[in-house]
Amino acid sequence: MKTYLVQRLGIGLLTLVGMSIVIFALLRFAPGDIVDILFSTGGYVRPEERIAIMKELGIDKPYTVQYAEWMGQLLRGELGMSYNYGVPAWEVIRPKIPVTLELAVLATIVAVLLGVPTGVISAVRQDTTLDYVLRVVSLAGLSMPSFWLGMVIILGMVAWLGWIPPITYVSPAENFHMHALQFALPALAVGYRSSALITRFTRSALLEVLREDYIRTAWAKGQSGRIVIWSHALKNAMLPVITVIGIEFAFLIGGLIVTERVFNLPGVANYLVEAILARDYPIVQNLVMFIAVVVILSNLAVDLLYGFLDPRVRYGD
Amino acid sequence: MIARFCRKKPLGAAGGAVMLMIVLTAFFANQLQTYDPIATEAGQTLARPSQEHWLGTDHLGRDIYSRIVHGARVSLIVGVASTLLGSVLGGIIGLLSGYVGGKIDLVAQRIMDILQGLPLLVLALVMSASLGPSIHNVVIAISIPIVPRAARVIRSSVLSIREMQYVEAARSLGLRHARIAFRHILPNTIGPFIVLCTAQLGSAILVEAALSFLGLGVPEPYPSWGRMLSVSAAEYAQKAPHLVIFPGLAISLAVFGSNLLGDALRDTLDPRLRGA
Amino acid sequence: MKRIRFVSAMMALAGAGLLLCPGPAAAQTPKSGGSLNIMLREDLSQGFAIHETSTISTVWPAMPCLSNLVIFDPAKPTESAETIVGELAEKWSWQDHYRNLVFFLRKDVKWHDGKPFTSKDVKFTFDMLREAPDAPGKLRINPRKDWYSNIEAVEAAEPYTVVFRLKRPQPSLLLMLASGYSPVYAAHVNPAVYRTGCIGTGPFKLKEWRKGEFADYVKNPDYFVKGRPYLDALRYIVIKERGTRIAALQSGQLDVSFPGETTKTAAEQLKKAVPQLVVTPVGQMVNDNIILNTKKPPFDNPKVRLAVSYAIDRRALIQAVHQGGAVPGAAMAPKPYGVWGLMGNTLAALPGYGKPEDMKAKARKLLAEAGITPQKPLQVEMSTRAIPIYVDMASFVINELKQVGIEASLKQIETSQWHATATRGEYQIGANLTGIGVDDPDGNFYENYACGSPRNYSHFCSEELMKMVDRQSQEIDPKKRLEMVAAIQKKIEDEASRPMLDWRLDYFTHWPHVHGLVAHHNIYNFGRMQDVWRDK
Repeated sequence: MKTYLVQRLGIGLLTLVGMSIVIFALLRFAPGDIVDILFSTGGYVRPEERIAIMKELGIDKPYTVQYAEWMGQLLRGELGMSYNYGVPAWEVIRPKIPVTLELAVLATIVAVLLGVPTGVISAVRQDTTLDYVLRVVSLAGLSMPSFWLGMVIILGMVAWLGWIPPITYVSPAENFHMHALQFALPALAVGYRSSALITRFTRSALLEVLREDYIRTAWAKGQSGRIVIWSHALKNAMLPVITVIGIEFAFLIGGLIVTERVFNLPGVANYLVEAILARDYPIVQNLVMFIAVVVILSNLAVDLLYGFLDPRVRYGD
Repeated sequence: MIARFCRKKPLGAAGGAVMLMIVLTAFFANQLQTYDPIATEAGQTLARPSQEHWLGTDHLGRDIYSRIVHGARVSLIVGVASTLLGSVLGGIIGLLSGYVGGKIDLVAQRIMDILQGLPLLVLALVMSASLGPSIHNVVIAISIPIVPRAARVIRSSVLSIREMQYVEAARSLGLRHARIAFRHILPNTIGPFIVLCTAQLGSAILVEAALSFLGLGVPEPYPSWGRMLSVSAAEYAQKAPHLVIFPGLAISLAVFGSNLLGDALRDTLDPRLRGA
Repeated sequence: MKRIRFVSAMMALAGAGLLLCPGPAAAQTPKSGGSLNIMLREDLSQGFAIHETSTISTVWPAMPCLSNLVIFDPAKPTESAETIVGELAEKWSWQDHYRNLVFFLRKDVKWHDGKPFTSKDVKFTFDMLREAPDAPGKLRINPRKDWYSNIEAVEAAEPYTVVFRLKRPQPSLLLMLASGYSPVYAAHVNPAVYRTGCIGTGPFKLKEWRKGEFADYVKNPDYFVKGRPYLDALRYIVIKERGTRIAALQSGQLDVSFPGETTKTAAEQLKKAVPQLVVTPVGQMVNDNIILNTKKPPFDNPKVRLAVSYAIDRRALIQAVHQGGAVPGAAMAPKPYGVWGLMGNTLAALPGYGKPEDMKAKARKLLAEAGITPQKPLQVEMSTRAIPIYVDMASFVINELKQVGIEASLKQIETSQWHATATRGEYQIGANLTGIGVDDPDGNFYENYACGSPRNYSHFCSEELMKMVDRQSQEIDPKKRLEMVAAIQKKIEDEASRPMLDWRLDYFTHWPHVHGLVAHHNIYNFGRMQDVWRDK
């Protein structure tokens, strides 16, 4: 088990290094001169000004040197200076992380609360009208563009209620009621989408398990259907479901990017787009690495949990 | 065979019908349109759906129905092209990785890990910003995140087939590896491959819509469903809600159809993958 | 059909003019207290460093913090030399036939950190702006260097007197100093500080700038105008998504919109949903124009350029792209939005303003003389910013050009790269927008038409034109100057290096509980907020 963990962490680290190179290179291949873009609001950067700016931002050095500097900074726990704001990147990113984290957690909770029961009902009542209806509704969630759902919600609210959730971040300490209102709708919008995947997996995993011999045996033995389901089937079906929940949590961020933007939440996902467009490399690089770390860690956590819950799975073989 | 499929999997058949309708719409866009999708008409801005303009007009007086019809073309082309590109590339990598194994497998797996370490939209965003706005760049940007997912599916499929008896038999007969790979293994991965493609098609269409919405997707003059929803739609939404409703419905319908079809195909072609 | 459009355009102009006639002053007494939520379209770029940017996104939220020597009267929508009032300067006078400008400064002004304001600060700021060799302050980029290129020296011999010595007479300098783009920085503060914070002398002190979210201000208790500001606090809120912005204004979470943000149709929608909203149509001092790369074929040929100008029906464009929310005009803004613009018959005689069929026929004739016919059409690439309104504008123009034998394909350039691309001449024909910081010929012509100016995107160099501009810059008689500027505008349209399309209107919107905020015909100059109050 220990060797497995070490192995996975090692591979994870290797992956992160590889990813850092890919991101670094991709960003620098972007078309357009970065100085022109950073200072596009000034209109025109004269040659003398350009030289001074490049020196100040440290982008006049060769790419290999810049990459080494970035790696060095990461090892020291620093994230460099934001090109756009001229303050430490961490200072810009830090207040935004809790917002995204909270939204991700809330959305996952919504997804599980919506998805698991729906999947169970759907599996138990397989191929009935209810099953079809539930599957169609959940699939609709998977098919809708998340930004569209958000837009429709906001525009619908302002048209019918003349009210929209707060547009500046309200912390729970300030006003819990407003905070809840602010996060409820985006969490629902993102959660609905994730719930669809969870519904599908719960349904198929439960169906799979329900076909297993030991279940049939239990039925044949005359045990009540419901007990059979709840005590045997569900326990075993939960494993792949937990996998999906774990993976979905990490991949939630795709939906968060557009949802945060539409609901004007000041999270890192929303900010990522701005930073990419503004070519604020220190911020983009570090944010993307942060997302990668979250993805790798949550994959690892899911695998470990899987191994912990299912003794049939062995590691290190 | 198709009739049996329709009977056994009515939802899948419905999905297939939707996809077929969209493909036909895209193909016959020029015949189906009622107006030129890029022609503006200053006197008819933000008109409600009516006899002349079935789905209304936008703020420049362009017919929304015709734009949605042509948008099908763009969404499908981008969706299908990027899915195929990504799946084929990923499939080849997966095939080699799974069949040859060893060092190649190790290296390929690590590279796939790197590409897969990021959510679809994030990687597509970075790539799109990196490559610049154009339709082929968008296709590339969306196909790259699909490669590792395709590679993983094909690789595991190949791994399980490789151990099967008839492959061993073929090897003991002295057949060359390439022959074995192409004659015996590849045909058996077609099932999972098709399932993979239909599953990814929905994601590809959604990512293209999101990119267009953020301003990084397919540029003008191609009408894109995602771009129809950005800026101007929201601005005029209260006067003309149809600007927001119809393109969104179009996207949802396309993805919905592809998901339904994909599910049914997966159930039919490869029951082992049901949980995947 | 065309006559109806023309009449309605004229009626819109007249209606707007009526709305803007200075009526009786508000009969209510201003109340103190309260705060306002004000719209921002995007986060501040380069923070509060107005001198290092050329965007309304910085000027609008940074103006409350800073002060000018002089400023355009906040209460008067149309800006001119007659509406200039003092801020940091109590009195000023031109001497030696507009060759020296003397300011007598207020003695009771303190910077937000408590230090006293003196003439040293003025000298520091303007030596920095004109890039004097011994200037202690240095800007990272200096977009308006040309505004101050005529200053020979800035003398601050006494603590409350400043003299600007010019190389030659230039009445326009005073107007440029009155623009929101010309605040005074503190001499004891490194200019770089303004990129992350703000030490000013303005009515509001910066409390917090949460990057990407909002900028918070509190009342400056030591403001040099007693009894001002009325408000206790301001919050400028960043909302990137347009639909959400409008919804926020409509639902009351924002009290004031962003200058230049509200189109005619959006305003109509807002008014319909919330009838009590106050909508004021004003000119933005922003125009749409076509830039033509005159250094390369085919637009090095004046006939081809002129054909482009003839081909575009300005009034149809205004209707199609702006839904009527813009007015036709030449290189300077027309009345009542500006003071110098061509109007009436003079405007109607310019290429592209007459009867569309006649204009297009003329265009075809010009193209034929250049060897271009519908059988042998000209293929060009039209570049524009990747923003819907530009794309719409470009699409319309492409449609117009198609009808005279020019086939243009659309190329979108990311906004942040637009200026650099245009300055480098990496385009053939482009759909462009130009904001003018002050309604003044000097403030406009040098920047956009001078040989070698980075903003002269068409790279067009006409010695004769620049001589005319220099002459009007030194002309003291206002009537003579007006005629000279009219002649310059005609010449510019005839040379067709940068055909003007329209001047944009903004339907500036705020809730009725907001008082004292008078929108100007220039988005850059009315953001000081010191006379604004609320009554709910």
